[in-house]
Amino acid sequence: MSESYGIIASFPNTPAFFHAAEKVRDAGYKKWDTYSSFPVHGMPAAQGQPRSKVPVFTFCGGVSGFSLGLSIVWFMNAFNYPLIVGGQPFFSPVFPFPIMYELTILLSAFGTLGGMFITNLLPQHYNSLFNSDKFLEVSGDRLVIAIEARDGQYDPVATRRFLEEIGGTDIEEVSA
Amino acid sequence: MSSDTTNSKGNNVGLIALVVGIVGIVIALFGFKQGWDNGDVRPIMSWLIGIGFWLSIAIGMLFLTQIWYVFHARWPTIIRRQCEHGMAAFPYLLVLFLPLLAIPFLHENPGLLWKWMDGHNALPGHGTVGEDPLYQWKSPFLNIPFFAIRAVGIFGVFILVSGLLRRWSFNTDTTGDVNNLHNARRLSSLGLFLTSIAMTLGAIDWFKSLEYHWFSTMYGVWFFAASMRAAISALLILCVILAAKGYLKGILKQAHRYDLGCLMLTFTIFWTYISFSQYFLIYSANIPEETFWYNIREMNFDGTRNSWWWVSMGLIFGHFLTPFLCLLWYKTKVVVWRTVLVACWILAFHVLDLYWNIVPGKMVTPDHGPGYLVRQFSISPYDIAALIGIGGICIFAMCRSMKKAEPIPVRDPNILTSLNYTE
Repeated sequence: MSESYGIIASFPNTPAFFHAAEKVRDAGYKKWDTYSSFPVHGMPAAQGQPRSKVPVFTFCGGVSGFSLGLSIVWFMNAFNYPLIVGGQPFFSPVFPFPIMYELTILLSAFGTLGGMFITNLLPQHYNSLFNSDKFLEVSGDRLVIAIEARDGQYDPVATRRFLEEIGGTDIEEVSA
Repeated sequence: MSSDTTNSKGNNVGLIALVVGIVGIVIALFGFKQGWDNGDVRPIMSWLIGIGFWLSIAIGMLFLTQIWYVFHARWPTIIRRQCEHGMAAFPYLLVLFLPLLAIPFLHENPGLLWKWMDGHNALPGHGTVGEDPLYQWKSPFLNIPFFAIRAVGIFGVFILVSGLLRRWSFNTDTTGDVNNLHNARRLSSLGLFLTSIAMTLGAIDWFKSLEYHWFSTMYGVWFFAASMRAAISALLILCVILAAKGYLKGILKQAHRYDLGCLMLTFTIFWTYISFSQYFLIYSANIPEETFWYNIREMNFDGTRNSWWWVSMGLIFGHFLTPFLCLLWYKTKVVVWRTVLVACWILAFHVLDLYWNIVPGKMVTPDHGPGYLVRQFSISPYDIAALIGIGGICIFAMCRSMKKAEPIPVRDPNILTSLNYTE
């Protein structure tokens, strides 16, 4: 058998799945995840996941949009080609506001989308988990926890026994 | 449930609020009387600020309740009940509004507060209100009988719609009859139009017509946005207090607070959008009939900065930027003390926003020569007395309503969804 990707275990119902995730978290595993075909409320906390980092990307996008809007209006109407419009000053923070505001929203949206891709490690065309036929059933009715071999605590025998202890069934090792 | 102890606690709070309210109102009315006798409008504006502040909270709660009904929102079912208690203040606010309505009928100068009410009132520069073509054009709308009819109609809509919504919702507690909620939903879809029109007319009559020369189509929406912000902030503080005192203990979840926090952020942005758009359109069009309204909020006749410039800056940075940046953070919306702090901050600046809309005005110079004086920013003790006094009565009304019904709509079909709500 080739190098191992990790071990997957299935769970019979959502509460068992949920509490098993809490036990994996408490056992100190880091490189692992839960897979289900529907969202389970409270799962991020059960997995011990921190808040998403996407808002940081959104904020950076928004700030750059705001300053970009401000600077293009200043550059065009006050610096590169000073232009009098409607008797108003060459530059004021008031009249470029629609542009600053639109660009803030646009680049915040881009930041959010990009941040979502980056933090989700997308695009990802291949994942070893698809080598397992049982894992493919996750898109149906299977609930799976997978602990990866690159986790520091991973041990082929001990981890398998641990997954059995927390109620996992159909435990199998997935090749990389 | 230990309803006896909680009820007696509620009694005490209501009683204290009533006493504080009466004391505040007596002080504010003393100022009102002084202003009435001396022809000084400032203490009368204190009363208008107090009414405006508490009315905006009640109006916002009325809007929230109807919007939740119309959209069949299930998560805020437990919060809706607190809105229904808050709306109990409307009849009291009508009574408290009467002193203002008495000015055009009983005072020797009917235009003491709203200067268009007396055609003999002198205008800055030259002439009187009666000679002013702009007033003559607006007189079919801006005349005292119609003003009084509108005031009664506006409060009539608020009292009727809120009264029916309260009755149906409370009735569901005892009978479990779901038809009550169908009725409430049907009324809300009509009531949203009625309350919007009533609120817009109120904002135009009571706040905008203080400077009757000026016109802005955004004004009603501004008052809507301001009311929603105030109501959501007040509601959040109220819910947190009720959770701490036991009424909503274990019922008010983090998810409810988080969503109210999100609404607070939304309406912070919306208020800014509306307020800025109003400014921006007038700035771009640059027509003197409109720009003077912003000019007096920035500078005196001779172009020097006046006290309102600082208030305007305070609104931009204090009423928008600070709460906006704070509310962007997830933590601000879920950590109780931070949310409550931001809500208090918004309410404080909402008062400042009302000052900014009500108090500045063009005044005739002593020699009635060219130019004008601007009524400057000041905080009078009567402002504080009116805010506390009218607030005391509103809180008394709310506590009184709380004794009539369960803390949450126990037999509402959506109650479980609301109780088990998660982010």
